[in-house]
Amino acid sequence: MENTSLAHHLILAGLLFVLGLTGVLIRRNLLVVYMCLELMLAAATLALVAFSRFNRTMDGAVLVFFVITVAAAEVAVGLALIVALFRKRGTVQSDALTTLRD
Amino acid sequence: MIPFLADIDPVFKVLAPRPADWLSILPEIAVAGLSLLCLLQAMFLPKALRFLIPNTARIGLVLVAFMALNDGPWTTVDEATSFAGLLRQNLPIAGVRMVFLLSALLTSFLAERFLQERDAAVADYHHVLLVVTAAFMLLVQSNHFVTFFLALETGAVGLYVLVGYLRRSEASLEAGVKYLVAGGLSSALLLMGIVLVYGALGSAGVADSLNFTQIGKALTAQSIAHTISPLTLTGIALILGGVAFKLGAFPFHAWIPDVYQGAPTPTTAFLGTASKAAGAFTLVLLATGPFAPIAVKLAPLFAVGAVLTLLVGNLGALATTEVKRTLALSGVSHAGFILAAVTAALVVPGATGFDYNAEQIVVIYLLAYVIGTFLTAITLVSLPAAEDHRRPQLALRGLLRRSPILASALGFGISSLAGIPPSIGFVAKLLVLALLVKAKLWWVLGAALIGVAISIHYYFSILREAVVRPTDADEELAPLDIPFGTRFLIGALTATSIIGGLFVLFGR
Repeated sequence: MENTSLAHHLILAGLLFVLGLTGVLIRRNLLVVYMCLELMLAAATLALVAFSRFNRTMDGAVLVFFVITVAAAEVAVGLALIVALFRKRGTVQSDALTTLRD
Repeated sequence: MIPFLADIDPVFKVLAPRPADWLSILPEIAVAGLSLLCLLQAMFLPKALRFLIPNTARIGLVLVAFMALNDGPWTTVDEATSFAGLLRQNLPIAGVRMVFLLSALLTSFLAERFLQERDAAVADYHHVLLVVTAAFMLLVQSNHFVTFFLALETGAVGLYVLVGYLRRSEASLEAGVKYLVAGGLSSALLLMGIVLVYGALGSAGVADSLNFTQIGKALTAQSIAHTISPLTLTGIALILGGVAFKLGAFPFHAWIPDVYQGAPTPTTAFLGTASKAAGAFTLVLLATGPFAPIAVKLAPLFAVGAVLTLLVGNLGALATTEVKRTLALSGVSHAGFILAAVTAALVVPGATGFDYNAEQIVVIYLLAYVIGTFLTAITLVSLPAAEDHRRPQLALRGLLRRSPILASALGFGISSLAGIPPSIGFVAKLLVLALLVKAKLWWVLGAALIGVAISIHYYFSILREAVVRPTDADEELAPLDIPFGTRFLIGALTATSIIGGLFVLFGR
């Protein structure tokens, strides 16, 4: 801990967050998009832990537990939806999602 | 109350929940209990008695609504906090809790027959519906970012299930996945925003920097001393962006048409009312609560957002002939109206229109929107359709002849949404416009009026189809048989719309 500062943690979290956001915006495979979403949540969690540690307040560390729980629930529902869609369509490419239009 | 913790640490003596705290969220506990009851009934009731499940849910919701209406032992309409400042109650919050209960009740009416016709489980749908309702009711009371995030996410995850509920329908699954990605993205942005606000304020020495009250105090002090860090501002922007996503405000509205079109119609109605109400009201709470000290910085942002949301929603709705898409995009324009009301509250804190403040006007607007949306949705659900996501305007042709009562429901729903005089929708729009005049936001007012003018065009092109005589080609359209329950519901909603509107204007 001696050689790392809050800024190091935040820069890493920021990079992970931007990486996830970029992935969500440019990738076409729904599973990859979904992993990128989780990456964004993980980045936020990392920043949360860093702030909690360096500011010496416990609130952030407590919120982390809730975030992980929420992320798990989201993954359970999300994967179920993606698998059901794959069974129906045989693909998880977002370009193929064209049922809904005018 | 956990006695032994109080012995260990005196802090717990202060923070431990008191009986009054539990009473303040009794409606939410009751709704959550009802949702479990739905599952229990599905497990133990024989097939012949399954019809009881949605009925128990509805009776329960009505009872909870009566309980929550009461100012007194169970819930309070006075300004109060509970659970050591985690939750907060007042009159507009009590009102918006009623909006959620009403919305769930009406959704249940729509869903029962809709799901039975499509061979989908009714009990599970009600279970998830009630969980989402309870979560949203907690969300609007939250006064702390932990409860805020948890309640919002519980609601969102439940809604993913409700949107993708018809597993055999490609449209429903596609809408579910699209909603999942859009919702997941907004949650991630929101969480990052919360983290930045927490961290930046925490670094500045604020003790409880997730608590709305503390954030408000800290921002007041910092804005006087001009020491608000860019990190805090970025965080606030991300939080507001995440909530705008849920509300479907420009530029975060791209997911709305597809998801609303593909979702099962009862879910579409619930999304359009409860989920939008949750987004709208949390935006009001955040803008007038913790973020009020930087209202000067936020106001231009909200004003531009309101104008663009109004224009984009209305112009988009002009360009489509799928009724569910039209309603989705017109919903975006309604979000613009709500944003306009919030802007007025930011520019002139405590501004009133017809003696109602901005929070109350938003609740009235949401209530009007619930009534209009459900009257329209009842019509759509009662019309037979091969595919739920294909409901072109043409399918409404000759509705007046096939079923006058459905046509009148559509007529009242549409005029409530468009804001035509006898309905509460007119009163709601009038209140927002009055608020904008008070705040002297002329160009937002202009955009709102242009929006209303455009909306009358597309709303009435839907209605025209229903009134137009069927041509020779579709003369065979059979009269529709509408069950008594639906007739009753249409009558009740129409009466509420007119009486409610009059009451809001003259009742006080």
